[in-house]
Amino acid sequence: MHRLHIVNGKAMVASRRSIVARLLGFFSTPIYNAWKHRDLIVAILCRELHERFKGSIAGWVWAVLAPLLSLVTYTVVFQGAMHLPDNTTASTSFDYALFIFGGIISFNFFSEMAYRAPTLLHEYSHFIKNTIFPCDMIPLISTLRATVYALIGLSLMISAQLLLTGRLPWTVLLLPFWALALVLFLVGVTWFISALGAFTRDVSYLMVSIAPLLMFATPIFFSRESLPEPAQTLIYANLITAYVEIVRDLVVNGTIPSFGLCCWTGLVTAASFWGGYWFFDKNRYRVVDLL
Amino acid sequence: MTFEVIRTHRLGKVFPLFQSPADRLKEIVLRSPRSKPFWALRDVNLQIAKGEGVGVLGRNGSGKSTLLQLICGITRPSIGELWVDGRVAPVMALGGSFDPESTGRTNAVIAGVILGLKRHEVLERLDSIVEFAGLGDFLDQPVKKYSAGMRARLAFAVCAHVDADILVVDEALAVGDGAFQKQCLDWLGRFCQTGTLLFVSHSLDDVLHLCRKAVWLDRGRVREIGDPYKVGANFSKAMELEPDDPSRFQA
Repeated sequence: MHRLHIVNGKAMVASRRSIVARLLGFFSTPIYNAWKHRDLIVAILCRELHERFKGSIAGWVWAVLAPLLSLVTYTVVFQGAMHLPDNTTASTSFDYALFIFGGIISFNFFSEMAYRAPTLLHEYSHFIKNTIFPCDMIPLISTLRATVYALIGLSLMISAQLLLTGRLPWTVLLLPFWALALVLFLVGVTWFISALGAFTRDVSYLMVSIAPLLMFATPIFFSRESLPEPAQTLIYANLITAYVEIVRDLVVNGTIPSFGLCCWTGLVTAASFWGGYWFFDKNRYRVVDLL
Repeated sequence: MTFEVIRTHRLGKVFPLFQSPADRLKEIVLRSPRSKPFWALRDVNLQIAKGEGVGVLGRNGSGKSTLLQLICGITRPSIGELWVDGRVAPVMALGGSFDPESTGRTNAVIAGVILGLKRHEVLERLDSIVEFAGLGDFLDQPVKKYSAGMRARLAFAVCAHVDADILVVDEALAVGDGAFQKQCLDWLGRFCQTGTLLFVSHSLDDVLHLCRKAVWLDRGRVREIGDPYKVGANFSKAMELEPDDPSRFQA
C-alpha cells in the first residue's frame, strides 16, 4: 500500500537503517524508480517520438536525412585527406570523414541535452504541478528520446564504414557498452542541469554561450594526440572527450580503448549518473514550488 | 472502529517571497534572509477516516489547493506531520496536463499510467473510459480540437477508472455541462461508499450532497471544521458580511 509519512518536510523511512543499507538504497534508487515507472516512460517516449515529425510529409525521413547530409558533406570535403590528424597515414580516403562523424555524433548528443535541459522542467510544469508525476523521470525520458536520434547517426556511421571502406572491425560489437555509458552520463548531466535551470533562467543562457565553444574544446576535428603535452591530458577535463575517443577507437580504428581510458569513462559515468540524481532528488520539492 | 487514511498535525507550508531572483541567490550564498515568508497553510490539524467525504471551503488563495497538493505528494510541507495511506488520484485542473497535439487516446493512456495503472490496464479499460466520457469518434482526434467540457469529461473519466483509494477533486466539475456534472456527482456518490473523497468546490450544494464533513480554510488556517450544513452556512454568511480583504495575499 502506498504510504506517505512526512515530518517537517522530510519523508520518514520505515526504520533506522544501517550505513550499508543506506548506501545500497542510494545506488539503487534511480534504477529502481526507472523500473517502477517503465510503463510511464514508454508511454511518454512513444508519444514524443510519434509526434516529432507529425505534420511533415517526409516524417521520419528527416531523422535519417539530417545526419546523412552531414556525413556526405564531410566525405566530400575531406576526401583525399591522406593523413589522419594523429599523423598516421589514412588507409582509405574516407577515414577522416568517419573520424569527424564519430566525434560529431557524440557531441551533438551532448549538446542537444545541454540546450534542452535548462528549460526541461518548465516544459513539463503542467504535469509536475497538476498530477502526481514522478518528475525525476523527465530528464530520463528526454535523454532516451535523444538517444534514438543518436542511434540513427551511429547506424549511419557503421553502414558508411562498411560501404566506403569495405571492412568493419569486430570491436563495433562493444558499442552497446559505450552507448550505455554515454546515455547514463547524459542522464546524470540532464538531472543536474534541469534542476539548476528550474531555479534560474540564467542556466539556459549559460548553456547557449558555452556549448558552441565546448565543441572546439572537444577533439572532433583534430585528434587528442596532435595537441602539445599538458593539453593532451587537460582535454580530459572536458568530459565528452573520453566518449569521443572510445567511439573512434571502436568504429574507425578498430582497437580496444586503453584500460586507463575505460576506467576514467566508467568513473565519469558513475559520478555523473548518481551525482546528478542526488542533486535532483535533493532539490525536487524546491523545484516544484518554484515552477 | 474508524481507520484514518489522512492525518495531519500542525501542518504548515511556507513560500519565501523574493523581491528579485538575485535575492534568492544572495540568500543561499550569504545565508542571510532576504525573503518574506508567506504562509499558505498553517497549523492545520485534520483527521480523515476511510470512506469519509470531506468538503474543503474557502476563498481564493486560502490554501485549499496547497492542502490538496500536499496530500497528493506533489509538494512537501514545510513543517508539521502528514500521513497519507492509500493510492491518491488528483482530479485537478482537469485536462490541464493533456498534450493538445496528441489524440485523446494517447492522453488517456498517459494520464492513466501517471495515476498508477499499467499500460495494458488502461488499454483494457479504454472502452469503458470512452463510454463514461461520451466522446465517441473524437477519441482519435487531437485534444486541441476538444472543447473545454470534452477535455474535462475525458480527464474525469480516466480518474474514475484508476481504482484510487483517495480521490482529490479540485474545482473539477465547473466546466462540464449539467448532465455531465450530474453523472460525475452520481459516480462520486457511489465512490464515497468505499473510498475517501476530498472535494473542493465553490458550489455549496455539491459539497452538501457529497460530504459528511466540511473544512473551512481562511488565510491558511482552519477556521471551522465539522458538519457541512453548519460550516457551509457560516461560510456563506462570512462571504456576504466580511469584505474581501486584499491584504490576505501579503506576506
